[in-house]
Amino acid sequence: MTTRTLRAALAASLVASTAVAATARADTMTMWVRASGTNAASTLVNLWNATHSDKVELTTIPDNQMVTKLATGVQAGEVPDLVSFDLIYMPDFMKAGFLTDLTADLKANPNFASVAKAYVDIATYEGKLYGAGFTPDVSILVWNKDLFKKAGLDPDKPPRSVPEIHEDAKKIHALGADTYGFYFSGSCPGCNIFTTSPMMVASGSKMLPANGNDDALTGEGVKDVLEQFKEMWSEGLVPKSAQADNGSNFVALFKTGKIGVQGAGGFLISDLKRDVPNMNFGVTFLPGMKDGEVSSFVGGDVVAIPVGSKHVPLAKAFIAWELTDEAQLEGLAKNNILPSRPALADNKYFAADPRIVTTAKALGVGYVPWVYHFADMVNSDSSPWINMLQRAIFDGDVDGAIKEGREKMKAIAAE
Amino acid sequence: MAPALIFVGVFVLVPLGQLIAMSMTDRSLLGGGRFVGFGNYIKIWNDAGFWRALLFTVKYTIVLTPILMILGFGLALLTVDNTPLKRLTRTVAFLPVVIGLSSSSLLWFWLFDEQVGLLNKLLTDLRVIAQPMVWFVSADLAFWAVVISITWKVVGFGMVLFIAGIQSINPEIMEAAVVDGARYWARVFRIILPLSRRIILLTTLISAIGSMLAFDQFYIMTSGGPRGQTFTAVYWIYQNSFVSFKLGYGAALSIVLTLIILAFSTLQIALTARSEAK
Amino acid sequence: MTSAALAPDDPAVAARRPRQLARTAYLTAAISIAVIAVMGAPIVLSALASIKTAGDASASPPHYLPSALSFENYAKVFRFQAGLATYVGNSALVALIVIASCLAIAAPAGYGLARFAMRGKEIAFLVLLAPIMIPYQAILTPLYLDFAKIGLVNTHLGLAIVHTILQLPFSIFLMRSSFEAIPREIEEAAVIDGCSSWKRLTRVFLPLATPGLVTVALFAFINSWNEFLAALILMSRETSFTVPILLVSVRQGHFGAVDWGALQASVIISIIPCLGVYLALQRYYISGLLSGAVK
Repeated sequence: MTTRTLRAALAASLVASTAVAATARADTMTMWVRASGTNAASTLVNLWNATHSDKVELTTIPDNQMVTKLATGVQAGEVPDLVSFDLIYMPDFMKAGFLTDLTADLKANPNFASVAKAYVDIATYEGKLYGAGFTPDVSILVWNKDLFKKAGLDPDKPPRSVPEIHEDAKKIHALGADTYGFYFSGSCPGCNIFTTSPMMVASGSKMLPANGNDDALTGEGVKDVLEQFKEMWSEGLVPKSAQADNGSNFVALFKTGKIGVQGAGGFLISDLKRDVPNMNFGVTFLPGMKDGEVSSFVGGDVVAIPVGSKHVPLAKAFIAWELTDEAQLEGLAKNNILPSRPALADNKYFAADPRIVTTAKALGVGYVPWVYHFADMVNSDSSPWINMLQRAIFDGDVDGAIKEGREKMKAIAAE
Repeated sequence: MAPALIFVGVFVLVPLGQLIAMSMTDRSLLGGGRFVGFGNYIKIWNDAGFWRALLFTVKYTIVLTPILMILGFGLALLTVDNTPLKRLTRTVAFLPVVIGLSSSSLLWFWLFDEQVGLLNKLLTDLRVIAQPMVWFVSADLAFWAVVISITWKVVGFGMVLFIAGIQSINPEIMEAAVVDGARYWARVFRIILPLSRRIILLTTLISAIGSMLAFDQFYIMTSGGPRGQTFTAVYWIYQNSFVSFKLGYGAALSIVLTLIILAFSTLQIALTARSEAK
Repeated sequence: MTSAALAPDDPAVAARRPRQLARTAYLTAAISIAVIAVMGAPIVLSALASIKTAGDASASPPHYLPSALSFENYAKVFRFQAGLATYVGNSALVALIVIASCLAIAAPAGYGLARFAMRGKEIAFLVLLAPIMIPYQAILTPLYLDFAKIGLVNTHLGLAIVHTILQLPFSIFLMRSSFEAIPREIEEAAVIDGCSSWKRLTRVFLPLATPGLVTVALFAFINSWNEFLAALILMSRETSFTVPILLVSVRQGHFGAVDWGALQASVIISIIPCLGVYLALQRYYISGLLSGAVK
């Protein structure tokens, strides 16, 4: 071979090997996220993409289509490598065999040990782990300090029991016909399981049945809380529009400064700071019937790997990465999103705003129900949960509502 | 002719066959399911919720279709000349047709909203009502809210079809009527309406089928409420298939609904054919 | 011309009743203006709300006019995820394929139904009508699983096929009526001139049926552009999504909360292309249905 040919061949093989190496390295993973979790997920995905050569491509799926899309996708073999979705669907997906077993990888990960217990529980099925907490959210109680002051209440002392919420609400409504003490979305099942059920759980009740033999709506908590809500409604402490609100105005009224107290999620904090920077508001745990009883609904998204993914090792690497200090702090905490490891709650980003620290701590006092057919039981527009609430609060028949709710929920759980 | 039939055959009849097959199983959205024969259909017979939803859907269709036809025809009569004002009216009336149904439903949901809606504010400012009212807390008001929003969205479509019908009537017939001294409304009822019979029947059919399959507007505006009183047939299918995961049962419901619509359409087409033969 | 058929009365008669004529004219003008106001108001209000700030758009009680002009709602929609341009590109491509297929399939089918006598024509007609009678949400799942097997998911072609299925019945109706409206004499003249059936279709009928074709194209465009569910089910990557999916995602907040400002911006954004197409085709469109649906 002549020198020239040799050099050409060398150059060519060099180019070729670089090209092969380059394509071998630059993989793209696809990830589906539900619409309301997009902003939070983007913080982590953008951080990963900025620091890794393999990229994650995020696809937003409207909330109420996520289950259908994933279910039909798995059956058709059209799945993303990662999926971030509402954690209450985990039991159904795990049972259906849609998700990849991550037990070995997660248990070997030192960071996993410090993840909030609720996220571990919801992702466990028959002793195996199928997902990790991703972009948490948790329910808390917010109160409008300006209104409290005007009503003669101590703006730094939030109500510590449901009856106290009732009392405070009365005083705030006395300020004017246009000002209301309390708010809840009367036709939004999801909003209420998020903010109202923790009040019942804090008062000692268990909410949903895991199977046909399990108990539902136990204890006095459900009844007592519903009685309080019923009274607040009949006393006009809640705006009339709340009855038909299907969630579209879940926090809209609080933002206008006309509501004294209401349940909401951690997401509201950054919303309020952005949209109404002049409002003075406080954040505390959702209380039960007695002072000292607290709870919360541990929600948000978990991340999992659907069966059929073509980049499983890489996807596992992503999940391992998102549990690291760097991801949790620089990705989530920096953007006012809660880390799924409560140990990281006291960090420099949250130090500036103690309200966020409170919210992060709520992860530790909260619950998450582990049931099948959550959508049917709770979130559906015709669910026993919302029917019970409406019958008890708006129709006034608390006992009948609870009885009917209990029966219907157990019937669904038995399927 | 052949390509159309092949196209429909492959892409419609095949999935339809699969739907029928699925309706005989208890398939779940999450996969799996065994053959249950006509079990689902027997369950439908006893499913009070479905029949309630179906009845509601029929009520909705019966109320909405005449409104659309009468208003559509009226608008057609109004705007059939080609003056600039009439052309503008035609365009503005047609505009809502080009908006997507979900956007339009949400737009009206916003207008009707008691807290942020401008319609309530307008009605209050005009002293029609004393204070903003909650439209969606009463089944009747919710029903009318949806009817109003759909009328707004769809009436332009009927208008345009009817204009085409009117403008294609042989001008000699009209001139003869004028010479005979027939007044305007007499001309409308004695000449235009009878000669437009076919287009009216056709438009009524399309409109009625569309109403029987109504879903999006109720999903977005009423969420089936209050207390499930405004579920339509397809909404009920949606709930069963995608929320309760009962895909097999939902398929059976769909077949039943399709058969009902098919029967109704065949009847309509037969009536049309017979009236044309006259 | 034909509008004279409905003009109040012919001049000779009208001369006898000038006051009544003027009164009728004023009345119809007033009604027209009322119609414009009622039909146009929601869109105008939506447009006004879309240029409010996000907080202003959710204000309670609401105001008619924006207190401060802001395009942040539009910015939010434009910048969302893959960016509006990507979605518009996908929607446009799908719509083009739909228009082409509808015309290609409906024109010959309409011609066949209009001209050729055959047994079972009414049955064929019912079969072609079938797609609009089946609840569309139900048929999508089997269709999706089938498409997955033949590799049509996440493709523009696959989605276009679904849209075409939905549009065919109406398109065939229109084309049939359009062809039926063409007088037999013209066809007979073409036969005498020795044209084959295919040549008759392309040289004689199609030009005369142009208005009908344009109408089919217009409705194919509008319905494909606005279609949401099939687009979401069939596409699996953000970069393949269409405009309606963007519009739904961008306004969704937590637990069903709606970003009202983003909603209004979406309404206006979804109107503009369709309105543009409609206005451009106005000329053909009205006369399209002219020869179109009747007879």
